[in-house]
Amino acid sequence: MPYASVFKDEAKLDINYTPSKLQHRDSQMKLLNQYFRHATETPGKMTQRVIIIGKVGTGKTVLAQHLGRNIMREAHKRNINLHYIHVNCRQKKGSFFLILQQIVTQFHPTFPKRGYSAEELLQVLMQILDEQNIYLIVTLDELELLIQNEGSDPLYKLSRIEEDRSKAFRRFSLICILRELSWLDKLDESTRSTLQSNIIQLDAYTQMQLQDILNDRVALAFKQGTISSETITLAAELGEEEGGNARYAIELLWRAGKYADTEEAKEVLPEHVRKAAGNVYAGIRRDEITALDFHTKLFLLGIARRFQQTGGVHLSMGEAEEAYAIACEEFDEKPRGHTQLWKYTQELSSFGVIKAELSAGGQRGKTTLIGLPRIAAVDLEKELNKALQHAKRRYAQ
Amino acid sequence: MKVEDVFSSKGKVRIMRILSEIGELNISDIARRARLNYTTTNEHLQMLEKAGLIKHKSFGRIRIYRFNEESAKAKAVKDLMEVWEQEDNGAYPERV
Repeated sequence: MPYASVFKDEAKLDINYTPSKLQHRDSQMKLLNQYFRHATETPGKMTQRVIIIGKVGTGKTVLAQHLGRNIMREAHKRNINLHYIHVNCRQKKGSFFLILQQIVTQFHPTFPKRGYSAEELLQVLMQILDEQNIYLIVTLDELELLIQNEGSDPLYKLSRIEEDRSKAFRRFSLICILRELSWLDKLDESTRSTLQSNIIQLDAYTQMQLQDILNDRVALAFKQGTISSETITLAAELGEEEGGNARYAIELLWRAGKYADTEEAKEVLPEHVRKAAGNVYAGIRRDEITALDFHTKLFLLGIARRFQQTGGVHLSMGEAEEAYAIACEEFDEKPRGHTQLWKYTQELSSFGVIKAELSAGGQRGKTTLIGLPRIAAVDLEKELNKALQHAKRRYAQ
Repeated sequence: MKVEDVFSSKGKVRIMRILSEIGELNISDIARRARLNYTTTNEHLQMLEKAGLIKHKSFGRIRIYRFNEESAKAKAVKDLMEVWEQEDNGAYPERV
């Protein structure tokens, strides 16, 4: 008999899948609903700003998306033209302009891509909202990237946009998603004060909570009887060790299922989860690597390879640049200059993929030292090779 | 504007075909797709707008053009464009 996969629907384990039921976030969901009650009860009277804080994999994104889904349904019933738009700042490379562009193109898909500034685009957005009588809730996910890239300015403008329109209906509400509250310290006083009033904190999931979440997903993604409760418990345990990270635990199960499939096993065993745990790195997501631009990937590939060759703790910036140049040659790309590479280093360091620090004394002059504290270089290289091949195919088409 | 003035101009017809396909667009985009220069495109657009076939909306410096849904004339032209394209793409069986 030909082998049948253990999966029923793999997509249910995908990072972009929003489950219909939200486990163990009832009180936070209630609070968030409470904050936005006015949007369907007295639209136009006030706007809201909410910050959701929590570590990786604690349900921030899913919480906001649930609000979006529920509130659009409610608004529809009441004939209110309310839209919810979820923007991931990382995918928009932390650019205020690209973030606004994504929002505007929801209403005007062929809106020109160039030829105006972010400020103009914000004005355009408000004009669209007014003219079409739209109320809007925007979630800025992974807001760190926008703050890092453009500082206080965009948030200041967003938080004050309604104040310049004293008589008009209030149409624009904002949800900010951050991993740590300390990012707000980087904002100026006045922006911080307008944002900081409503904060929802998501704590790490416990093992039992993770188990409930995993059980839900397993029922959707795996065929019945292909995964034992033992296996799920182990994934939950590992998820808790990684700081209550549900996303990590879910990805573990997905990979474990993949291993089971390659071995043509009938059941996903704890051993498959263990094997997967050796390969999934909690701090970095697959989609984070795919989202990097082509040359950033090449740069990282160079670094990963050089670490395997040297086996050392650090690379100097010079060594990293050399390794990158070799990777470029292999992919037939013209290498980017030093300044650009320095920017890549900062970017990667802020994601936590690498650690960049300034060399202190001992050597002549100063250089940036690059460390790779969280992932095995071999695994990183594998992941990058896959992503690069994929990107190149797309590039060629 | 007389009907022959609109349909005798390749540029105008091309612009209307593009707008019926895409829905709404700014001048530069229309010019690029119609392979016309900016000035010519702008002239065509102004004449078509005068004839009531299309209308524009301004967002600051940006002007976005679309068919004028309130005009029966415009609706008829838009329908013509759509039917023409669909038949050419084989959406309707050839009539013998």
